[in-house]
Amino acid sequence: MKRMGRLSLIYLTIVFVILYAPIFYLMYYSFNSAGTMHNFESFTFDWYREVFQDTRLFIILLNTLVIALLSSAISTAIGVLGALAITRVKTKRFQNALLTLNNVMIVSPDVIIGASFLVLFAMIGIKLGFGSVLISHIAFSVPIVVLMVLPNLEEMSPTLIDAARDLGASGWDVLTRVVIPYISPGIFAGFFMALTYSLDDFAVTFFVTGGGFSTLSVEIYSLARRGISLTINALSTLIFLATLILVIGYYFISKQGAKPKEAEVRE
Amino acid sequence: MPEETIIRFENITKQYDNDPPVLTDVSFELERGKFYTLLGPSGCGKTTIIRLIAGFVQPTTGAIYFDEQEISNIPPDKRRVNTIFQDYALFPHLNVFENVAFGLRVKRMKPDMIKAKVREALRFVNLEGLENRGITGMSGGQQQRVAVARAIVNEPEVLLLDEPLSALDLKLRSEMQYELRELQKNLGITFVFVTHDQEEALALSDEVFVLNSGVIQQRGTPNDIYDEPVNKFVADFIGESNIIPGIMINDYLVEFVGNQFECVDQGFYPNEPAEIVIRPEDLEITGKDQGKLQVRVDSQLFRGVHYEICCYDKDGNEWLVHSTRKVTVGDEIGLDFGPEDIHVMRLGETEDEFDRRLESYEEVRHAG
Amino acid sequence: MRGRTRTRNIYLIPYMLWIVLFVIAPIVLIIYYSMFNIDGAWSLENYKRFFTPVYLSMTLRSFWYAGLITGFSLLIAYPTAYLLTKTEHKQLWLLLIILPSWINLLLKIYAFIGILGFYGPVNSFLDIIGVGTRQILFTDFSFIFVAVYIFIPYMILPIFNALEELNPSLVAAARDLGASSWATFRRVVFPLTFNGVKAGCRAVFIPALSLFMITRLIAGNRVITLGTAIEQHFLVTQDWGMGSTIAVFLIIAMGLTMILTETGKKVN
Repeated sequence: MKRMGRLSLIYLTIVFVILYAPIFYLMYYSFNSAGTMHNFESFTFDWYREVFQDTRLFIILLNTLVIALLSSAISTAIGVLGALAITRVKTKRFQNALLTLNNVMIVSPDVIIGASFLVLFAMIGIKLGFGSVLISHIAFSVPIVVLMVLPNLEEMSPTLIDAARDLGASGWDVLTRVVIPYISPGIFAGFFMALTYSLDDFAVTFFVTGGGFSTLSVEIYSLARRGISLTINALSTLIFLATLILVIGYYFISKQGAKPKEAEVRE
Repeated sequence: MPEETIIRFENITKQYDNDPPVLTDVSFELERGKFYTLLGPSGCGKTTIIRLIAGFVQPTTGAIYFDEQEISNIPPDKRRVNTIFQDYALFPHLNVFENVAFGLRVKRMKPDMIKAKVREALRFVNLEGLENRGITGMSGGQQQRVAVARAIVNEPEVLLLDEPLSALDLKLRSEMQYELRELQKNLGITFVFVTHDQEEALALSDEVFVLNSGVIQQRGTPNDIYDEPVNKFVADFIGESNIIPGIMINDYLVEFVGNQFECVDQGFYPNEPAEIVIRPEDLEITGKDQGKLQVRVDSQLFRGVHYEICCYDKDGNEWLVHSTRKVTVGDEIGLDFGPEDIHVMRLGETEDEFDRRLESYEEVRHAG
Repeated sequence: MRGRTRTRNIYLIPYMLWIVLFVIAPIVLIIYYSMFNIDGAWSLENYKRFFTPVYLSMTLRSFWYAGLITGFSLLIAYPTAYLLTKTEHKQLWLLLIILPSWINLLLKIYAFIGILGFYGPVNSFLDIIGVGTRQILFTDFSFIFVAVYIFIPYMILPIFNALEELNPSLVAAARDLGASSWATFRRVVFPLTFNGVKAGCRAVFIPALSLFMITRLIAGNRVITLGTAIEQHFLVTQDWGMGSTIAVFLIIAMGLTMILTETGKKVN
């Protein structure tokens, strides 16, 4: 491969600097004793202490995590069933219709999802709060799981299922011993994506939450609207570290899963 | 000897939706402990037959019997047959041991029993010590052996092999042919082997079924099929042959390329048009104006064991000759052959019609 | 075959339920609500209102901003994606590009409140080079800048994937046939990665139409997008009818964008 030109290198560097500048800017000032995002006065852990002492914030964090884990687990289950259903549908028309509807949810802007869910919950009389937020998060995560699992199912050779049946496996055995293990990388990826979508969501939650129930995103929004508060900086540093750990963990786990395939290429 | 029949197809027709049928009114029986080959071009229905036996598809009409029990609608997991797939269909998420153990695990066999049986099966295919290897890192030949072990560990009464050698290179292929034949002898179970490779079919089988467009064209031992093809399709598909139009003058007398020749065929109407088959290796090259047929050499290819020589007679028929003798392109040469080298076929005759002709001929002879 | 059909139906039930409840029903409800005015009476008043200059100019402005954001994102993302494919550990670099997009959106927006603020580093820099401090926050520029910043990874990813799928021997073939590197790019690389560009534009344009937290936090209500208007009607003025009407038009815009950026990939 050709060495990259100096100009290209500068360009990439600038892009990377700009992408990461805001994050490191936030982190830097989270240690500022002056309490502003300019004029670094002296180093302090005060804001972190405040984050850890703030029980309200702790409850919100807990809410966010519970919603994220529950919604991604449930949406993964529905999504896997959905992907299985899509591949088993016989007519191409019906299959494409299902996929289109699946994609509608993916491309729909958050505002539309939020507003329409708000209307839906009002219609069927679901009280806004934990329940409505959980249902919404499940609903918008399902199509992502479907999309992550589908390629795995499609590349799976149909003879594998024939082989399992041939060896005496019942329909349930085929599902649990062959299909699910085979598509587990997709299931894992789907779960992980659902998790990040849920953790990251602001707009939908903002529309459908109520009764004092709040997630981290909504909380940050309302804090930010009131102006700068270095507790947010401290919090964002912690979130950044958590994200980093999550991503690195995901990267390594998915890499491990991909290893046999690399061996295949080498052959 | 009905007690030896293990699988019987009774008037099986298989049709998908409104497409033309894949199999049309196919009937046959397979005996216990023999090596059968289903041979034919792609799309002839050979794979459909083993998928019917395995239970992956159900016949549109007709019935399949296993040990004289009808099994047409029994699901594949309840049948005492196992399959080796063209792509092996080994489970990529399981290692060698777990692949072979799969069938035993779903039968809820005891773990120590499974261990012993899997060991035994792997020993049988010379894969001892590779229990913990992943599937994806293995060579084609090794994967093939795992597939064999995975099937035979279940002790099937019939083993179905769907073109299992087609993914292997030539050398490995012939090695595996020997091994499969040995395996079948050692196990003593019925093998149903699907292939489109006629050499493979002739080399391996006790009996060959030649199929074309959903119909069994001919069944018989490799020798029968090779020497006595019932029609042009079989003659053309099995080995290389010269197929020339001719007229059956009388019993034991045939005319082609303007000359009459003595032959060993019988049972035709007088002066019935027919097709003459002579194998390229049965033609012997003689000097000009000698032999039974005069031809001009058009081209010549060296094939290693022999020369493949292409000639034309005065009527423009192409004659393929396999000879260890080299000739000169453009020369006139003579071709010689004996009466037993000529095989006369009735136009478009099926196997049943062929058999009936022989029978009716015998009757006429006895009556007269 | 009947057994197999039954299991398929069991798989289908929860998923179909999800589709009906959360994809079809909400859209139907939005259309239904758009036909009620603020007093709850059935009328097409909202649609009439939408075609008044106030709403039309807002819609046009929203499209204009979304177009600008998409255009700038593409302008920055394409070269970035292209250069990324040339790096040695490209998957790692790609991961690093995507990583910021996994940081909560609001935190990044919040960071820009500080960076672009009156006492922020950008203004200090402007002061040093003699341009002088000025109000950057709450301008069109700050809105577009932050939006582009947010969307860049979503534009890079599909383009990167398209470039990765491009068979390198096609580029070699073009060069071999005498095409300069620019001609190769224009006639071979770009057309073959156009589906990636379309996918990227789709991933940016629709959300750009409907952003509302950036407008609130960075643009200080100077910029009103369709998204802001919907949020305003639903959550502030409680005029769900009008909010739904705007949402209907946003859905139409979304449908058109989807059709325009159709990459021709279907189930095979």
